[in-house]
Amino acid sequence: MSADILLEVRGLRTVFDTRAGQVCAVDGVDVTVNRGECLGIVGESGSGKSVTFASVMGLVRVPGRIEAGEIVFDGIDLRKLSAKKMQAMRGRDIAMTMQDALTALNPALTVGEQLAEMLAAHADDLPPGRMARRAAIRARAIEMLTRVGIPSAGERLGQYPHEFSGGMRQRIMIALALAAKPRLLIADEPTTALDVTIQAQVLELISALRAEFGMSVVLITHDLGVVAQHCDRVMVMYAGQVVEEGPTAQVIRQPRHPYTQGLLASIPRPARRGQPIRPIQGQVPELVNLPPQCRFLERCPLADDACRHPIDMRPAGPERRARCIRITTPDIEKGLSHDI
Amino acid sequence: MTSDPLLKVSNLTKTYTGSPSVIGRLLGRKPVNVRAVSDVSLTVARGEILGLIGESGCGKSTLGRAILRLHEPSSGRVEFAGTDVTALSAPDMKAMRRRMQIIFQDPYASLNPRRTVSDIVGLPLQLHGLAQSRSELRDKVAMMLEKVGLKAGQLDRYPHQFSGGQRQRIGIARALISNPEFVVCDEPVSALDVSIQAQIIQLLQDLKREFQLTYLFISHDISVIGYLSDRVAVMYLGEIVEMGPVDSVLSRPRHPYTQSLMSAVPEIEPSGKAQRVRLTGDLPSPLNPPAGCKFHTRCPLATDICRVRKPVTETVAQGHTAACHRLDENLSLLEGASA
Repeated sequence: MSADILLEVRGLRTVFDTRAGQVCAVDGVDVTVNRGECLGIVGESGSGKSVTFASVMGLVRVPGRIEAGEIVFDGIDLRKLSAKKMQAMRGRDIAMTMQDALTALNPALTVGEQLAEMLAAHADDLPPGRMARRAAIRARAIEMLTRVGIPSAGERLGQYPHEFSGGMRQRIMIALALAAKPRLLIADEPTTALDVTIQAQVLELISALRAEFGMSVVLITHDLGVVAQHCDRVMVMYAGQVVEEGPTAQVIRQPRHPYTQGLLASIPRPARRGQPIRPIQGQVPELVNLPPQCRFLERCPLADDACRHPIDMRPAGPERRARCIRITTPDIEKGLSHDI
Repeated sequence: MTSDPLLKVSNLTKTYTGSPSVIGRLLGRKPVNVRAVSDVSLTVARGEILGLIGESGCGKSTLGRAILRLHEPSSGRVEFAGTDVTALSAPDMKAMRRRMQIIFQDPYASLNPRRTVSDIVGLPLQLHGLAQSRSELRDKVAMMLEKVGLKAGQLDRYPHQFSGGQRQRIGIARALISNPEFVVCDEPVSALDVSIQAQIIQLLQDLKREFQLTYLFISHDISVIGYLSDRVAVMYLGEIVEMGPVDSVLSRPRHPYTQSLMSAVPEIEPSGKAQRVRLTGDLPSPLNPPAGCKFHTRCPLATDICRVRKPVTETVAQGHTAACHRLDENLSLLEGASA
């Protein structure tokens, strides 16, 4: 089992010090990513999904800091690595694509220059000799752009990010992330800014490249539909904590946490036209100085005094866990979505 | 619903003219015209929700704004409750706006950050002389705030003190306070998180019932449109390519663009039966739209005729129209006929 684990995060706690107090953006998060799998991370804004993986990448900057936790990638504890060693791992072993490709790409460098920079830093199978090396980098850059579906890649190497459409820029980000053939790709909302027809193209590209390179993918998204179609397992985050995890099909068919149930009931579906929609009431709590109790308490229809304690993740079926003390009650079994 | 539609749009076109840059002018370049909305006709019955769906840049927001004359239409007619809106003088148009309102997409950009909620929501009352005194205005605003799920005590707060979902509620209160009959909802839930999105959809449904509203609901999300609308219109590059009752269009889409749009949406419960259709390439530039059928550059079914002749809109079922050369062949990308 442990040989199959590529990334293991234990008890990660990332905090931001603000004038209003300490914001605990990620509080005790455990993540396991197996080799070759696609793990979906679902949550709304402020749930801590992006900060969790920014922590994994070592990209959390002041006023943020990782307060506790272990981040083990392929047997190496990333938190103990020197900045220089971490720099070498980023891009080569773990790569991340950002949601907004226009701000993540350098507007002053051509796409070819950005790809070349990446390859020069990380590819170790380049031939010796300056000219041969340059030619190899150029060939590899063209190959990568072609792989992500950018037509006439040779000519487009000399263009700047603003000369590409949104879908094309997201592909360039993916090409950059994959240039050094990393073992783990973290895709942070790769399609949120894109139209559905383009979204489908980009997601299928990631799936195809995952199969080809045998890498693992973490897909961060707020769209349960995307997760349903592309991820083996899913983790649902709420207010800085994981509230439910398990195989995607099971979590969607039979959600065990009231938040996951509410989230699924909130999605408008044409099949439910004419039936009232059942949104989760209220809003996500402020993350400053949270009381030690279930974070979903204020919005949960099942909450009572027993929920006013810190709640741990507990088993909720084979390969499934959820952070709710009511997992075994009949209400949960039936699924809140049907009877609130 | 009465037999006369509340809104009747005929052959509406909106062209934007971009002036060339200084260098372009020196080189004698001509101004470029972009036809954002091209020859669109539609009707909306009283009490109905017409969903307008399309990808970014297809002209759906421009159409919504041209109907309200927020962007002046270049040609065509918009009739609202029997009045030709396009022919109204500026003061008459202003009076008409009391009855035709809009809710914007971005709850951050559409509220003046330096005005209080009472000023923002009360402005339509002032403009249309609907409140005789300051206290009457505040009372009316307070009542409206409660209708949209905010508290009367929040009257004197500023937009930045509210969350995204609450701001969208302020935008809805502003649109509805003048008691309009027709509201253009321009992607009102696109910027919101899923759980908040559901709250706003529910609110819009409740308010529609309470105030007997008619909506033109613009969205890029086929699930939202399918859930809310009575009828749906699908736009591509400034044109309506398919329109009809939601059940008919979603269960039997006839235009290849509608079919590919539907198959691109990631389903939460994959049914397995749906054939996946993949469009290649991006939306063509509206500066230089393709000749013939505008969809032919991405259409898996395109033939020679599609590249030269524009298809006419035909009726394919009760109240269901589509514009495609190959309708007679009854092809569907969704069942079998692989792309």
